[in-house]
Amino acid sequence: MRCLTHPLLRKLLSLPPQCVPGQGTLSKGAVLSLKQLFLRQNCSAGPGLMTATDMVNYWQKVFETNGIPEARESSQYIVSFVLGAKTFQSLDSKTLHTPLTALQQEQIQRLSHRRLQRMPVQYVLGEWDFWDLTLKMRPPVFIPRPETEDLVSLVVEEELQKCENSALCFPVPVPHPVILEIGCGSGAIALSLLCKLPQSRVIAMDKEEAAVDLTRENAHRLQLQERIHIIHQDVSHCSAKQLLLWGPIDVIVSNPPYIFHEDMASLDAEILCYEDLDALDGGDDGMRVIKTILALAPSLLKVSGVFLEVDPRHPDMVEHWLQAHPDLLLTLRAIHKDFCGKPRFLHIQKQSS
Amino acid sequence: SVPLLQAERKRNSLKLLELSEAELEEQFVRGDGPGGQATNKTNNCVVLKHIPSGIVVKCHQTRSVEKNRKIAREILQEKVDLFYKGEDSDVFKEKKAAEKQKQEKKRRAKENLERKQLFKEMQQLDKE
Repeated sequence: MRCLTHPLLRKLLSLPPQCVPGQGTLSKGAVLSLKQLFLRQNCSAGPGLMTATDMVNYWQKVFETNGIPEARESSQYIVSFVLGAKTFQSLDSKTLHTPLTALQQEQIQRLSHRRLQRMPVQYVLGEWDFWDLTLKMRPPVFIPRPETEDLVSLVVEEELQKCENSALCFPVPVPHPVILEIGCGSGAIALSLLCKLPQSRVIAMDKEEAAVDLTRENAHRLQLQERIHIIHQDVSHCSAKQLLLWGPIDVIVSNPPYIFHEDMASLDAEILCYEDLDALDGGDDGMRVIKTILALAPSLLKVSGVFLEVDPRHPDMVEHWLQAHPDLLLTLRAIHKDFCGKPRFLHIQKQSS
Repeated sequence: SVPLLQAERKRNSLKLLELSEAELEEQFVRGDGPGGQATNKTNNCVVLKHIPSGIVVKCHQTRSVEKNRKIAREILQEKVDLFYKGEDSDVFKEKKAAEKQKQEKKRRAKENLERKQLFKEMQQLDKE
């Protein structure tokens, strides 16, 4: 696990000093006087009474003054969270105009101070949503990205289609797909697959103990612990035998570290200071872990199917690499785009004999 | 959750004009960044436009982009249906029926209250 906590390292990467956990460049005094000024101008519910909308406007201003990205979104998520909602848009009109209690204001302030240190919103709130699941989030375990929701859809579609195909041929029992996830992080992919494919089982592995613990915690919170087996293991150092305890694997899914090493330094402070860099850095060509997974796949797979999330430059690179390693008998079956139109997901299969 | 299921069943019973993806234009507030692992933007707002009618829906109801996309399509489908069918739209009819039910409930509650007040007054008179 690598986290950029060394001050010199951060300085060399030109990261803002307020990135240091525990330190903030904005002193408490400065925040209070800004608040007093704002209160005089913007208390819509009456003198000294701040509503949710007032709070959002206030903290948005504070974040903007301090160069915090997504100032408005951050303050909206924090205020909504304290009011028990997921997003600001989902709050009803009544709630929006009700003055906040002192406790609520204090909670918002406490969370906002963390955001002032460039902590990602998901870590500030300690939770985030992925599809229909609310998952606990904790640094430095990798925060699931919204694009990855599409990766889950692709695996689900493939599995449902297999069900349909087999039903058309002759009556067969509903299959119980065994899915292997490599690099499970917070458990987002594994757990949402378990929810969408009620007959499935998942083997989830991660080389970081913090990730294994968090996946386990999220599995228990969602009552899915009976259907998931979580292993603390590095895919680079594991054997096929260890992974075949539930029989041959139907699908491998992964969002492996795929960032090109030279691009790591230009990532936002939120990522560099708080997330596990090993969950991001894919080596010189971003393909170190991708190659490891593909090399392991043939000895694991019963049928076919490796689904990977990758950098937009990887589809061609992976295709060439597979052609250069014909002994693996794998082909690139499909490339899928993410919701921003970027080639993001690869579907690799065993070649039909 | 139960309320969501009820809403879904209700929606499924409405006959609405189908929207094809080809008629839709979708936008996300993501910026030009690399996306994927390299970015951690939390704005999952979906802006969905129905090109033929020009109707635009903005959805940021959940923290999941896929759910927002789904909800945006549902809301847009209702609005497009209303736009083309007007009072013939099932959406309009349902809203009208719901409004009628609400008014009916109010009227009945008012009547009951008046009846109770009258009864009380009469009891007072009997005592005197």
